[in-house]
Amino acid sequence: MKKVVVMQWIAVVALCSLLAVGCAKKPAAQQAPAEAPVETKVAVEQPTAVADQGVSESSVKEQVPADIEAVARQLQRIHFDFDQFSLSAQARDILAANAALLQANAGVKVRIEGHCDERGSDEYNLALGERRAIAARDYLVSLGVAADRISTISYGEEMPLDPASNEAAWAKNRRDEFKAVR
Amino acid sequence: MTRLILPLLLLLVLVTPAWSAIEISAPGQQQIPLALTVLQPLDGGRNPALAEEFNQVLSWDLELTGLFSRIDPRAFLADAGRLGLLSIDVDFAEWRLLGAEMLIKGGYSLRGGQLVVEARLFDVRARRLLNGRRYVGKPGDVRRIAHAFADQILKSLTGSLGPFSSRLAYISDQSGRKELYLMEVDGHKPVRITNHRSIVLNPDFSADGRRVIFTSYRAGNPDLYQRDIFSGRESRLSARRGLNVGGRFAPRDDRIALTLSKDGNSEIYLLDGNGGISKRLTRYWGIDIDPTWSPDGDRIAFVSNRRGNPHIFLLSTDGGDPQRLTLNGKYNVTPAWSPKGDWIAFSRKEGSLFDIYLIRPDGSEERRLTFGPGNKEHPRWSPDGRFLVYSSDESGRKAIYLMRADGSGSVKVSGGSGNCNHPAWSPRW
Repeated sequence: MKKVVVMQWIAVVALCSLLAVGCAKKPAAQQAPAEAPVETKVAVEQPTAVADQGVSESSVKEQVPADIEAVARQLQRIHFDFDQFSLSAQARDILAANAALLQANAGVKVRIEGHCDERGSDEYNLALGERRAIAARDYLVSLGVAADRISTISYGEEMPLDPASNEAAWAKNRRDEFKAVR
Repeated sequence: MTRLILPLLLLLVLVTPAWSAIEISAPGQQQIPLALTVLQPLDGGRNPALAEEFNQVLSWDLELTGLFSRIDPRAFLADAGRLGLLSIDVDFAEWRLLGAEMLIKGGYSLRGGQLVVEARLFDVRARRLLNGRRYVGKPGDVRRIAHAFADQILKSLTGSLGPFSSRLAYISDQSGRKELYLMEVDGHKPVRITNHRSIVLNPDFSADGRRVIFTSYRAGNPDLYQRDIFSGRESRLSARRGLNVGGRFAPRDDRIALTLSKDGNSEIYLLDGNGGISKRLTRYWGIDIDPTWSPDGDRIAFVSNRRGNPHIFLLSTDGGDPQRLTLNGKYNVTPAWSPKGDWIAFSRKEGSLFDIYLIRPDGSEERRLTFGPGNKEHPRWSPDGRFLVYSSDESGRKAIYLMRADGSGSVKVSGGSGNCNHPAWSPRW
């Protein structure tokens, strides 16, 4: 009787190992896709050095602290022609305003996001979006904004402002966005 | 444990010579009259639903090949209802009467959680067996068995296996975010394999078919990831500043061609299997993007705007100057070199619409494959070079389509909600 049980166990183990071999060819994700941990960024307050300066009476003015929200609201988008990353006269005017805003708020950094309309290869548009972001960065730097305050990223055609497929939407979507960041 | 699939065991292989060499991509060829009968029970147990599913899957695959005209099953005579899997048992005279030149018969048994399918391909005129297979698996394997037999039918008739046992990878936004999915070639059994909750783009399979690479914004930058399909293990291969996009595995090893813009401008690089840079291939201030390997791994086709508009260029992986390939059109992108090396597929924008074209690697014989409404983009080849997979928005949303390499037989394969694009066809699975 004992022997039979042992034999049964051997059979079970052998079967299991066979099945284990079998499962090597199975896409793991056919099981319910594991919930990946959602990365949540915990905002940690950085201790900021307190500037302590002696001032004369004449320097006392109502200094508005650099308000990132306000800057973020005032930074304006620029737009591009199809398959182009050159800056139009209008774009240069807007960039000049953005540069002035950044120079008045030295504590604020900016992330320039380059975007394209949906036409074109996705990869080509990723490269084009990057060129659009870099074109704006270079112009801001030429206007005196420190290069280390500016970062760039391309989203290609992945984040349209207007999901419609028409000329008006495409014109809106070919753009640089300026995001104020600390 | 019970959910695990026992691998299909191919127990009996009846070796048969190729019927005749048929070039599947040749347009206007004569179709072979085929009779596809429904599987009969090998023993007492009947399961009409199973037999019908096998028939439907095989039927869809054979239709895509364009090789066959089908004898209407309503005209079938007595032999269609008999098991008779030996050539001496088949009433070939009956099938000749119906005009059939090829005959598919088969049987199944389902017992103790084990599915057995016997499938046979007969040459009616020669009255002989062309290919016989015995498949053993689990009840849920009926689709896989039907795809595997479709591959074998192509092998018998053309000398090379079909691609129906492989998989398609693609990007879908049906979860609300762009994630990577896999599905069968006919669009069945879609499975989501990433959960990045970000933007996932542009997959490609390794030569062994076990891994995929893709670009994801998960960490806030378009980085290149590699994922083992079966274990689910994932790693970030290239997270250099700027773009890490358009990764394509070399045909025979683990090198990856891709676009990096770490120095502020997009250029084509080769990475080794660990993500280290082994070579920089382009040096140009404009946009260089979208690499694809020749099947011998000696050359790369890619897209550059170095002549103003995006055009396709060829480059030796040993270095040297890029040679321009496409001379026509003003916007040629997403090249894909065929597995036989004889064609490069790409998409061209004419007016406001994209269509798919082919061109020889020497620049000759350019031809347009797709017409009609909608944008057709992202062509990729089946592993046997017979078919192309691509994305089209002709039905409103972007979806995944297949067609033959001559542009005929296009069929939508992706379903469900959301937009699907960026298909990639796996090697043999």
